[in-house]
Amino acid sequence: MFSDRSLSTNVLRKLRSVVGNENVRTDPGVLEAYARDATPLFHAYPQAIVEPDDAQQIAEIVRIAVEHRLPIIPRGSGSNLCAATSAQQGGIVLTTARMRRIDEIAPAELLARVQPGVTTAALAKAAGEHGLFYPPDPGSHTVSTIGGNIATCAGGLRGLKYGVTRNYVLGLTAVLGTGEIVATGGRLWKDVAGYDLTRLLTGSEGTLGIITEATVALLPAPATTGTGLAYFADLEAAGRAVAEIIARGVVPATLEFLDRRCMDAVDAYAHLGLHATAGAMLLFGDDGEDDQVAASLARMRQACLDSGALSVEIGGVSEAESLLAARRCTLPALSRLGSLTILEDASVPRPHLAEMVARIDDIARRHDVVIATFGHAGDGNLHPTCVLPSAEDTEAIARAERAFGEIFRTAIALGGTITGEHGVGAAKLPYLAERLGPAQTALLRRIKSAFDPAGILNPGKLGS
Amino acid sequence: MADLFDPDRLSRCISCGFCLPACPTYAMTGDEASSPRGRITLMRALDAGRLELDDPTLAEQASLCLGCRACEPVCPAGVEYGQLLEEWRGAQWQGRRRPLIVRALVLLVTLRPAHRLAGILRRAGRRKADDADQLMLGCVERTMFPRVSRAALTLAPGLAADPDQGCCGALHAHNGEPERGAAMARRLGDDLPGTIVTTSGGCAAHLASVIGRERVREFSEYVQDQRFQPVLIDGRPARVTLQDSCHLRNGLGVWREPRRLLQSVADYVELPSAATCCGAAGTYSLVRPRESRTLAKAKVAEIEAAGVDMVVAVNPGCLRQLRQALRRHRSRVRAVHLTEFLALSTKGPHSS
Repeated sequence: MFSDRSLSTNVLRKLRSVVGNENVRTDPGVLEAYARDATPLFHAYPQAIVEPDDAQQIAEIVRIAVEHRLPIIPRGSGSNLCAATSAQQGGIVLTTARMRRIDEIAPAELLARVQPGVTTAALAKAAGEHGLFYPPDPGSHTVSTIGGNIATCAGGLRGLKYGVTRNYVLGLTAVLGTGEIVATGGRLWKDVAGYDLTRLLTGSEGTLGIITEATVALLPAPATTGTGLAYFADLEAAGRAVAEIIARGVVPATLEFLDRRCMDAVDAYAHLGLHATAGAMLLFGDDGEDDQVAASLARMRQACLDSGALSVEIGGVSEAESLLAARRCTLPALSRLGSLTILEDASVPRPHLAEMVARIDDIARRHDVVIATFGHAGDGNLHPTCVLPSAEDTEAIARAERAFGEIFRTAIALGGTITGEHGVGAAKLPYLAERLGPAQTALLRRIKSAFDPAGILNPGKLGS
Repeated sequence: MADLFDPDRLSRCISCGFCLPACPTYAMTGDEASSPRGRITLMRALDAGRLELDDPTLAEQASLCLGCRACEPVCPAGVEYGQLLEEWRGAQWQGRRRPLIVRALVLLVTLRPAHRLAGILRRAGRRKADDADQLMLGCVERTMFPRVSRAALTLAPGLAADPDQGCCGALHAHNGEPERGAAMARRLGDDLPGTIVTTSGGCAAHLASVIGRERVREFSEYVQDQRFQPVLIDGRPARVTLQDSCHLRNGLGVWREPRRLLQSVADYVELPSAATCCGAAGTYSLVRPRESRTLAKAKVAEIEAAGVDMVVAVNPGCLRQLRQALRRHRSRVRAVHLTEFLALSTKGPHSS
């Protein structure tokens, strides 16, 4: 659809006049570095890397792209797991590396205003200095940017109690595919003037607009955090414990589970001394006032024991941090088992969690692939990860893809979805229609063309 | 370009990007190509023949990388970036593509090192039993900072110090000659039997990677159980901070030991960026003077803000870089090696 040739000197000249010579790069080596993000098996070359400074520059770049029918792929740190920033049809990768300013932390209003290139951890730290708290914490929070988090509606380890990125976005400034700059929402908790474009842009994966500024909600930081660790014979048993915890009326900050393969991989990196033989572990945690956290942990401990836990340990704040840090490393740690790890993100309603886990096991067996599973159990959000010895083994990759196809269909049949928090990107677009049905798929296309009539914003992704 | 890299090593990275926030050059540029993940992508392109060795981005990134290995401890996949960089430079820095200054330096250290330590070495050599642990003198250190080894021998008089020992080859390994660097380390290991004690973090990490971790002790590890008297300045405990040696910390995992020693004898302040490279990075200050000075400038600002009397280094390259940078910025803070600092303690109350 789009040209894969080098950009004409005319286009390059125009881009350079907007952002300066040094911020437009076309060297083959640089294009190589941006030919992929954190998603395996997606490799596509952009034609240029452009690093703008502000919304005005981005608007001008968009107008140039419209005129010359060039795709624009907005990119933060490229840590997404759905090939959302893969230049499938060539074009300009527009990075937010130069837009890393935290403009404002407003304790009186419980909000922050930031540029899109600020990392999640940097925002959390800045909020922390004011005694405040930005709850969404995707596994890659030290790497990922707020712009990327909003574009993919990132989740994280606190989803059950605190929700996900969309619950914290109050307002956005974005450049549309027409070059118009819109400011949606704002600093208000209540504002129903018009369609909720803030929510529409959140999770739009760069297909509707390029986010240039975000106003996000903050909360007062909880007084303390505590965690516990329960071991089970298998992941299914851990899944039943999750249902039991929720059934007892506890809504904890954290409920994460890992199967044996994940435990081994994580322990090889983090040296936590996890249980040597248990088939699965459940990491549970809560935050708040001291006595409230203690009570919550005690109730979860009892629920685990009543669900057949092999053992349960309760730890303090420092242990909580190291356990959560180790949990965030699960995916990369799994690459110790094989050099190609394909991770998925299916989500099911909580009551079906244990069943879904058993079905994944069965699917892996039937397709003869190794699948290690971990995930945000409290959200019903699973990360079954296929570990393959080599990226060259096309036959094994085909088996893995068939297994994932079946996992997606199983999740949908159980009332779940193909992606809970990683996004659709190029990776899951083939499965999207199955999840949404024809009417919604068509509606997505019409929405896309309203925001981006020329179809230049991240083509080959949502709305395509 | 097949066979440049160990295939298992090169395939280990899954491009998750967890290394990005740890990389000083990525922090400077925000450019994917100058992140550890991006550089591994470049190495893969080289390996697969998609990029040639004379590609300008490959040349630029091979020299822009500090080789500090800060990406390694944060990598859950256990990617051995330092080894990959050695393999990459082994191919990249050949012939005319090798930076001129690197060629000159490698030649220099390959010549027999000057013996500014002659006197003390003769005395140290005479008294030692055959099975004494061996002090490594270091080719750069014995020439530029002879006091460091002298202080080490004062603090650990049981150490033998063979004046005829060679170079460990770290400089070669890090600058495009991995095989030669390994051969030199093996030869040094043969020349100095038993445990080798070194006052250079960079040498320690390289030597350990070749002859085995169990045979190598960096000085702070070696004396960690010894007790030293407080170091006083004008009658009060000296206020000091530490700059980690990147390879000592990221390669060997040694960082608690020098801190504990300093805490036991002085008023210790942690530098916020102690674990981040000071810009010395072996030959880096000569190959990339501009970036090296940028890093050093930030370091000096932190050292000044810490209000210390001295900053302690555990590697000769860092010591040189810190001394130069402090002088350039007219700081009154002194940079000393750990052995020199601890030697102040044995002299009893000290006045500057």
